[in-house]
Amino acid sequence: MRLVLVGAPNVGKSALFGRLTGIYAVVSNYPGTSVEITHGRFTSHGRDVEVVDTPGMYGFLAVSEEERVARRAVLAGGARTIVHVVEAAHLERSLPLTLQLLTLGAPVVVACNLLDEARRELRAPDLALLSARLGVPVVGTVATTGEGIDELLEAALTADPPVDGWSLPEPFRSPAIRLAGGQEEGRTRLAAELALSGDESAEAELKPDPALWRLVAAERDERWSGAEGYAVAVATARRRMALALLDGVVPEADPASVGRTMLLDRLALSPWTGLPLVAVVLYVGFYKFVGGFGAQTAVDWLDRVVFTRWVAPLAAAVTGVIPWQAIRDLVNGPYGLINLGLRYAFAIVLPIVTAFFLVFALLEDSGYLPRLALLLDRALKKVGLSGRAVIPLVLGFGCNTMATLVTRTLETRRERVIATLLLALAIPCSAQLGVVLGILSAWPGAVVVWGLTLVVVFLAVGRLAAAFLPGEPPSFYLELPRLRAPKAANVLRKTGARVRWYFAEILPLFLLASVMLWAGELTGVLRWATGALTPLVRLIGLPAEAAPAFLYGFFRRDFGAAGLYDLAHRGLLSPAALTTAAVTITLFVPCIAQFLVMKKERGLRVAVGVLVVATMIAFAVGGLVGWLLRSLGGWA
Amino acid sequence: MKCTMCGAGPSACEGCPIGSNFFVSQRLASLAPGQKATVRRLAAESAADLRKLLALGLLPGVELEVERRWPAMVLRLDCATVALDAALAGAVLVALAA
Repeated sequence: MRLVLVGAPNVGKSALFGRLTGIYAVVSNYPGTSVEITHGRFTSHGRDVEVVDTPGMYGFLAVSEEERVARRAVLAGGARTIVHVVEAAHLERSLPLTLQLLTLGAPVVVACNLLDEARRELRAPDLALLSARLGVPVVGTVATTGEGIDELLEAALTADPPVDGWSLPEPFRSPAIRLAGGQEEGRTRLAAELALSGDESAEAELKPDPALWRLVAAERDERWSGAEGYAVAVATARRRMALALLDGVVPEADPASVGRTMLLDRLALSPWTGLPLVAVVLYVGFYKFVGGFGAQTAVDWLDRVVFTRWVAPLAAAVTGVIPWQAIRDLVNGPYGLINLGLRYAFAIVLPIVTAFFLVFALLEDSGYLPRLALLLDRALKKVGLSGRAVIPLVLGFGCNTMATLVTRTLETRRERVIATLLLALAIPCSAQLGVVLGILSAWPGAVVVWGLTLVVVFLAVGRLAAAFLPGEPPSFYLELPRLRAPKAANVLRKTGARVRWYFAEILPLFLLASVMLWAGELTGVLRWATGALTPLVRLIGLPAEAAPAFLYGFFRRDFGAAGLYDLAHRGLLSPAALTTAAVTITLFVPCIAQFLVMKKERGLRVAVGVLVVATMIAFAVGGLVGWLLRSLGGWA
Repeated sequence: MKCTMCGAGPSACEGCPIGSNFFVSQRLASLAPGQKATVRRLAAESAADLRKLLALGLLPGVELEVERRWPAMVLRLDCATVALDAALAGAVLVALAA
């Protein structure tokens, strides 16, 4: 049997999913954490149970792409039980959707999650009363502690289809809805309602039935003066029904004392205090912890102590027995599996990425990111994005590939394309960021030049993209979750899950890159490719030795940055050259994984376009910065 | 121009029988922090904008309080906190609470 978890964004569906299945789906304190369907299976009382976790949806009238994904998952036919996950303290916001789910005909169970917060605010609902009124099980849960999970599972496994008592008040029992009613699973009735509200995909679903479609179209225009009139009226009617059902279920509370924003909240939202707070978060979290501890202390120890002192002699001893030079090189040569593949992955990239994901998880779980979205909305509007883009953009500082997937939560195609371009171009991933900060940290001026260049490129390219890409300007709307103290267990678990995902993604590519570079050297292709890149590298004022680092960059962005790390440690680059190289390599092409995700999410045309634009801008800006630094006689 | 709820002109607004008060409302975007109001009508320019307002829970009859209006509007409604930009807030017509 199949359980489908649905509900508004950020009510804890993924946390419940984890409790039910034991599988970790990423859980955060911001709306839009899940953008895809997650499936999990387990056996309970000898029955095979499949659980489906869906992205958040406010209602069936979808606004964003992930809401459409969720709607498809809820409507997908077959035997299923719908588990409507609601926030216990916000029932009046969720119950209208429950009423709509009840008309689908499938069994429904309501999971009142975050019950602990509602209790704390003295707003714990009377679950038994609500269950009696709705005629379906209502179970209180606290997904983070596991409270109520067994009861929820029990209720979901034994739930019966609801009695159809939730059709709308008289004016809505229109000829169209009546005609559509009674058909399989209430799905057509829902489609009729959505088509009356102007939903395009519901209209497409009804059009094959000309009689029904004519009725819907006529009714919409004559009776409701258009789809918008109907949409508002039906939502208002459902809300009234929900409020009537909740009468006496939720204790009366003084609205002034409930869920008040705290002082910290006000500090985070006001630009006067919020922007300095951003600076503190950036400095302590990213510069000090990721750039300092991750990229320097931890990398130095792993690279100089673990690899140089222990792994290298061991590898040399072991590979010494191999009689063929070529194979010895493959394993232990300068581009070999150990020196390039494993060392880059474990000694250079791992500590940086882990440090970043740890900081990011803390920010996510506290609920700070939606506040940052609000704070930066006006600035992002200038580059054709809305405040919502903060979430993929900040995540991009961890891994651009992951972030490109998350751009799906943006509302219009125009915003998604702009965000994809800016991620590929001007947002360094954590490994790049860590390595670059590590290399440049000896010259604060270089860090400033590098950072300013990225900001200027971000704003200029975003501005141009916003001016040339057709489409509606973005708008900003977001429910702000409460600020919550992050839970250590979830932060560690999430960091662990992300680091594992990341490594599964990069390690094969790192090893493949080693093999290809080894084969390239063996066949002379590498010398040829490096030679071909050398003029370009020289053009921006770098020594020929920097060419391989750019070649690595094709495999992984962080791989290129790690190559740069090696160059810096060999003392081959002047500060000015290092700054130029850091700028160019940060702006340079997205890695293979990111390119594949761009192609999957945006299509080949956009992906290739981004690739070409990013390469041109990277070398143009790199050249310009190099020339400026040299002619100003900086530290060259 | 006619009221979308009762179909009558502005003169019928005085003592509106259905509480629509179509003509005696102001835009949400013009409210100051601390002011309380009731949503009267949604005048979104596009279907997409309307859906966003519905997703936030801004429906006729909903009571709200403005917490802040810069850099974006922040409202408390139904014990939740929601944020929206000035353009969207301009599409919400409200009547100030007495």
